[in-house]
Amino acid sequence: MSEKNELLFEMKNIEKIFAHVHALDHVNFDVRKGEVHALLGENGAGKSTLIKILTGVYSKDGGQIFMDGKEIEINSREDAAEAGIAVIFQELSLVPTLSVYQNILLGKETSKFGFISDASEKKQIQELIDRYGFPVKATDIVETLSVAQKQMVEILKALATEAKLIIMDEPTASLSSRESELLYKIINQLRDRGVSIIYISHRLEEVFNLSDRITILRDGKNAGVIEKENIVPSEVVKMMIGKEISESTASRALHTSDAETELEVKNLTHLGYYYDVSFQVKKGEVLVLTGLVGSGRTEVVRSIYGADPFDKGEIIFEGKPIKPTIKKSVANGFGLIPEDRRTQGFSPLLTVTGNVALTSYDKIAKGGFVNKKDEDALGRKAVELTDLRPANPNVQVGNLSGGNQQKAVLGKWLTRDLKVVLIDEPTVGIDIGAKDEIYNIIEDLASKGVAVLMVSSDIAEVLRVAHRIIVMREGRIIKEFNNGVATQEDILLASSGFVNETKEAA
Amino acid sequence: MKQMRQETLRRIISLVLLIVLTVVFTLTTDTFLSWDNITSMLREAAFIGLIAIGVTTCIITGGNNLSGGLAVGMCCMIFAHLYHYTAMSLIAIVLLSLLGGLLSGLFNGFVVAILQVPDFVATLSTGMIFQGITYVLAVRNQYGSITSEMIKNPTMAALGGRLPNGIYYVTIVWLILTVVMQIFLKKTKMGTYIYAMGANRKSAEYSGISFIKVKMVAFTIAGFMSFVAAMFTLGRNGTCDVNTGTALNLQAISAAVIGGAAFSGGRGDMIGTLIGVLFMQVLRNGVLKFNMTTAQQSIISGTIIVLMLVFDAYYNEFMQKRTTRAAALAREKENAGK
Repeated sequence: MSEKNELLFEMKNIEKIFAHVHALDHVNFDVRKGEVHALLGENGAGKSTLIKILTGVYSKDGGQIFMDGKEIEINSREDAAEAGIAVIFQELSLVPTLSVYQNILLGKETSKFGFISDASEKKQIQELIDRYGFPVKATDIVETLSVAQKQMVEILKALATEAKLIIMDEPTASLSSRESELLYKIINQLRDRGVSIIYISHRLEEVFNLSDRITILRDGKNAGVIEKENIVPSEVVKMMIGKEISESTASRALHTSDAETELEVKNLTHLGYYYDVSFQVKKGEVLVLTGLVGSGRTEVVRSIYGADPFDKGEIIFEGKPIKPTIKKSVANGFGLIPEDRRTQGFSPLLTVTGNVALTSYDKIAKGGFVNKKDEDALGRKAVELTDLRPANPNVQVGNLSGGNQQKAVLGKWLTRDLKVVLIDEPTVGIDIGAKDEIYNIIEDLASKGVAVLMVSSDIAEVLRVAHRIIVMREGRIIKEFNNGVATQEDILLASSGFVNETKEAA
Repeated sequence: MKQMRQETLRRIISLVLLIVLTVVFTLTTDTFLSWDNITSMLREAAFIGLIAIGVTTCIITGGNNLSGGLAVGMCCMIFAHLYHYTAMSLIAIVLLSLLGGLLSGLFNGFVVAILQVPDFVATLSTGMIFQGITYVLAVRNQYGSITSEMIKNPTMAALGGRLPNGIYYVTIVWLILTVVMQIFLKKTKMGTYIYAMGANRKSAEYSGISFIKVKMVAFTIAGFMSFVAAMFTLGRNGTCDVNTGTALNLQAISAAVIGGAAFSGGRGDMIGTLIGVLFMQVLRNGVLKFNMTTAQQSIISGTIIVLMLVFDAYYNEFMQKRTTRAAALAREKENAGK
């Protein structure tokens, strides 16, 4: 056992500062030989910054890194590879039109006069595959493989370079449960062969099952290290959230229940994305769908808006069933604030006025000609309603800060008479001050009687704005809370699949 | 069930199109399948084919080459200029034309890989430069106006010749170069890198493969093919004028696309392009025999290319959606069975 506890890799007092913000504040992290070590923390806790430092994407501002007891410097991807560190990327980095063995050996081919020694390479890689019993063939073309198989090729690529430390970042995010089981087996096999693994996942259940140890980060600092035998799910979650915040749950009064139902969804199903989703949103109510990325929340909202199709179920608007298309939705008074505002929310080269006008040409254009006065008035109205800074409707939206860009997107819809607003992750990448202003805008909307359906992963945000909270997991609704009842822990545990450990909703 | 690869399906479609077209023309005209017609079709095909080899290589890297045909004209004119105005030996003149072809490729590579100009606009502009050089070098009469230069050299004339059974030398050279390039693409390191760069540039670069080197190699190959096509053009025509080669490039790109090369990169090969070139040539020849105009022929080949591009754009996405759906349905069934 003493051999098993031998350290392979160690990071001491790592510091990283971005524009005066301590992203990592004297963080310590180590990995033993043949250990699966999970790195946990909420979004923004510093996990990805730490990983980027140890793979050479960022360079550290302070601290030391040791591999096999020797201090090393990692300033580039090459440095990391040389030290024996390999990453299995979330978005896969394979060449789709080449075969498995060509991918694994890309850039390292053995050749004579430029001709590749094909036969021996195929054999060498097939042997490697057989040793681990992966269900792929050396000659398979990568684009014909499933996501899980592609991931295996990535792992093989790491093994072929004799990596000692493999980093897996959300490896099961796009795998089915059976494929995930296979991955767990592979991970155990790697561990038995002495390979160390840093495992990052939002799915706490699998983290607890797989890991030998867990390091928890919070706000760029170490929040604790736990050995496998000491893992208690609710304790871990408390460490991730931090007690102070957990207890000061900002809660909102339940929405008045006598308001009319504006939007109802019954047994909505889109095969492969979400199943049997039912809920109601009342006038003036803020309903938040939360859960992990990939749990089907965004897809539900997109179907309601008419941007994606669905297979079964009903969408009922003001008591009448509707078959939504984007055009009808806009006419019905729906608005969508999409997840990725940069690619879906606004046009960076247009001014605030230009963007806002996009949703309102039915009102400001007559016979195809735009009434410039009405358009300008619209831009000014949007700036006023959202308190946009600078208060100039003629600025290109691409030049605004993240928070003000989002205000411009909100302005597109606020200037119309909305009945239902669908908001997807409204504050990603927005600083705290601007976040509050956006919450105020959402609350204003609700108080005017608009039904708000919002998607958010940020639990503090969910508790700040929601009247009711629905937690989704793997495409299904698994829990519903009235705000004031739920705490951060409850939501996080439910999202991660520990439904039974949460308090029953009243 | 395994998804059929885009390449495989495209190969089958283009082959079927070629066969259908050949059968139709054979049945409806009596001269189509005559040996004379076949050899002359293969001769014309060879000129498109040589340019298409270079174009295909560039398309596989994720780029394109719009300047190949104009580089043919430039190589021809370098030859004609030196032939007319200097007393150099034939070998020296040929070598300088070769140098012109290779330099045109290196220049394209320089603009695309080092100056980082997208292939399409880069080669559109370098093509104009090559055409400009062709005009500068053009042979002029005593009044200063451009004349077409007669090349009365027996060695060059021989290049335009054929075997006793009727197959032209240019056809043989084209087929040999097609095979050589196919082996190069599929069996060598650089060939693999060309595919890797086109299909996923990031991943290729992370594996230590140089973008600059790959682009330089691809464009230099294209430049070399322009030179080869130029020499045989001189052999066939016995003259050189400023318009030589201008029509070749678009046909070569069409052939590559019909043969399965995708503008998104990483797909296509010489066998596919060979089929594409034959298709273009059969279509051209067949419709002539039907007394169709070139305009009608353009409409037909243009339509087919658009359909192929639409197929490229949707096939992979469609297959992926279908697979996701099939997997979801299977899981539903599994759950229902429990």
